[in-house]
Amino acid sequence: MSDFLHHPKTRPADLPAGAPPLLTLSGIAKYFPGVVANKDVSIDFYPGEIHALLGENGAGKSTLMNIVTGLYQPDEGELILDGYGVRFESPEAAIAAGIGMVHQHFKLVSRFTVAENLALGWRETGFRLSASAMARRAEAEATRYGLDIRPAASIDSLTSGEQQRVEILRVLSRGARLLILDEPTAVLSPLEVGELYAALRRFRDGGGAVILISHKLDEIMALADRVTVLRHGQVSGTHLVAQTEPETLVTEMIGRPVEQKSDYPRKRERLVDGAVIVLDNVSCRDRAGQIRLHPLSLEIRSGEILGIAGVTGNGQSELSDLLAGLRSSETGQVRVDGKDMRGRGPNAFRESGIGYVPEDRLHKALAPALGVTENAVMRLFRAGPIGGRLAYHAAEALRFTRSLLDQAQVSLADPSTPVRALSGGNQQRLVLARERMISHRALVASYPSRGLDIGAIALMRDTLAEIRDEGRAVVLVSEDLDELMALSDRIAVLCGGKLMTVEPRGAYDRARIGALMSGRNAEAQS
Amino acid sequence: MSRRIRLPVVPPRRIFIGRALALCFVFLVLAFVLKVLGLPLGMVATLVMTSTFGTEFGLENLALYMTPLLMTGAAVWLALRAGLWNIGAEGQFLAGATAATAVGLFLPLPVIVTLPLAAVAGMIAGACWSAVPAAGRAWLGVSEIITTLLLNFIASYLVYYLVTGPWADRVTGAQVSSERIHAAIPVLYGVVHWGGPLALAVVTALGLLLGRSRFGYELTLSGSNPQAAHYAGVSVAPRLFLALVFSGALAGLGGMMEALGTVHRLQGGLAHGYGYLGIVVALLARQSALALIPAAFLMAVILNTGIVLQTLQVSASSVLAITGLLVFAIAVSDELAAYVRLETRK
Repeated sequence: MSDFLHHPKTRPADLPAGAPPLLTLSGIAKYFPGVVANKDVSIDFYPGEIHALLGENGAGKSTLMNIVTGLYQPDEGELILDGYGVRFESPEAAIAAGIGMVHQHFKLVSRFTVAENLALGWRETGFRLSASAMARRAEAEATRYGLDIRPAASIDSLTSGEQQRVEILRVLSRGARLLILDEPTAVLSPLEVGELYAALRRFRDGGGAVILISHKLDEIMALADRVTVLRHGQVSGTHLVAQTEPETLVTEMIGRPVEQKSDYPRKRERLVDGAVIVLDNVSCRDRAGQIRLHPLSLEIRSGEILGIAGVTGNGQSELSDLLAGLRSSETGQVRVDGKDMRGRGPNAFRESGIGYVPEDRLHKALAPALGVTENAVMRLFRAGPIGGRLAYHAAEALRFTRSLLDQAQVSLADPSTPVRALSGGNQQRLVLARERMISHRALVASYPSRGLDIGAIALMRDTLAEIRDEGRAVVLVSEDLDELMALSDRIAVLCGGKLMTVEPRGAYDRARIGALMSGRNAEAQS
Repeated sequence: MSRRIRLPVVPPRRIFIGRALALCFVFLVLAFVLKVLGLPLGMVATLVMTSTFGTEFGLENLALYMTPLLMTGAAVWLALRAGLWNIGAEGQFLAGATAATAVGLFLPLPVIVTLPLAAVAGMIAGACWSAVPAAGRAWLGVSEIITTLLLNFIASYLVYYLVTGPWADRVTGAQVSSERIHAAIPVLYGVVHWGGPLALAVVTALGLLLGRSRFGYELTLSGSNPQAAHYAGVSVAPRLFLALVFSGALAGLGGMMEALGTVHRLQGGLAHGYGYLGIVVALLARQSALALIPAAFLMAVILNTGIVLQTLQVSASSVLAITGLLVFAIAVSDELAAYVRLETRK
């Protein structure tokens, strides 16, 4: 038990002396071919603490959590639970030992009710099922953990915040003492974030341990008690959150300090100020006929960054699809440079110089099974020198791909590698570089920082500002208010498919925008 | 304790070695079964080798088997490029053969006109036979697997109806067969006709065209990820439709070659399972059109082996059993080839 002495200074602040950790990772290592995923990782997780795990993409957070939850076996080192060395041969074994994970993508059956989904996790669920018994049980668990749910509602009728609550409750009701959450606030509105924080603090105060995987620094500063930073698969530091600064964490995370800019001043005068894309009373419905975007009008001007704020799934993807021509509007019209684009497809928008980085890049903007070359030329294969009227010149496509990879700063030996074999960050860089090349007039970028690490995010934001300075328009869809407020000249807020407001720079009020994102219009204004 | 991991990109060498092992496995199982049946292995092996490769008759047979297999294989392969499963090459093959036969039987024209006309008729008939499933798949999202498969039965019974009814042979009284078609594809050597070289040319052209044409690229994109194809500005539905229709045309041309080159009649069992074996050929060929050639060759050897085995009183279904085993072994080997053992470094 030498691990007690490993980090004597970084034990939780108000922990009674001699209290043992709930789970200790001791010298954990995990190797994949050509990659060291984790090496020499030693962390103590104590009961009654929220312990954040911070690290860039590929820093080894996921692998480490897969080891803790029994999906992988460590190649070296051991797990010590309540003072005893353990081996989790399977995820079931980890659950039985009281370790539960809430994934970023919920693992719920969307057609089932809340009570039914909760019953899926109970070992005692019998052969005969009674709806009322399941509902009673669900109520009882909900009261026990202080999580507000509606047992009879079906999952697909819930907001993502409510779904997350069900997921957490399911993990807890299976007897979890250690709760692992992967990027839990990505899908939540500011209001729901507050509720999640409260629930996690309650669980902690009841003696539970929480591991919070996150790359949002303010979230960690607000919620966590201690934080461990991972870099290149190794621990680069464990700190008491109360005694550390965000800058220290960033430096530890990426190995050098990165300036978190809150402002991107123009490098040159804004010369032109014409409308590039005009949305006039446009609206959208989904396949089920449900209205996804209520009629709205919006102008996108050259030389500006228009931020679109909102909780994920409130009409942003529909709006950006409209702007790039992937979807046609039910009402009104979309005008690009004065031309009505009715009945014109994505290719016409591309020809007009509108680049688009969609939210789900891997499935919407890339063909994962095809090679990098085929993906690099995806939007440009019609024009010379790659394409002719009928031809497709593979050699030219390859040449183009190499230059694009250079611009994207992706090093790749063989461009025939399938895109799915690239890391998420590299896929993202590839799409961004390709779309930047297309966007003579405007770039529509949905959640461009997703999947990028902090260093790459800073670079991406600089790129967006450059595009703006060149007199082109940028539409930036993001869930990160700091990012939006730093970059945008105007911020439009979407909630439930409605355009709540368009605020000019200088009039930004974080609380007000946050309230509008959750749809509380009247209260916020009073 | 699993220390194996799946490679995202499998090097071709690994696939090749895996398949060679799979083939060896099939031979071993076959040897075992023959042994259990009480047949002397050495004799069977010699017989198969000599009668397939050692005699003129065997070699001719091989070429005649390869021709339709190349065409149906190319048909299935083309659809697969667009992510579609054309299970209906059998029916399209029959439709093509029927149309070509109609031209050959009922249009009294010089051979030089009849042959191209029959080829075009065969392709059109094959294309029409796949057009309905193609339209259903492209615009309504109806699974092409079911519709193309069901049309096989319709085509088969239609042929039976024609060759026992209106087109039945009244000259020589041959059963379940039309009269002999007088227009015939010219002979290359022995009974081997020019259909074989033509099929080789078609497969080669297919590979070149798809690799170097915009249509080929758009087809691959549509097949691989329709959502991304839409994003790239490609209209997916017409591409899928065309892919299946062209696929049907290739199978129809194969049917024309079989009717006018090899059999010289329309017969009940004309398709001989070539449509289904074409699926195997296409699966064996994977990404490359040129690989259809060795794949069709292998399949032709198996068909020939089946005949030899039949002369030794082994059931005719042995061909199907061997083919099934081969597909199974190759599917498993392709999957296993993706796994590598982890080296744990300390």
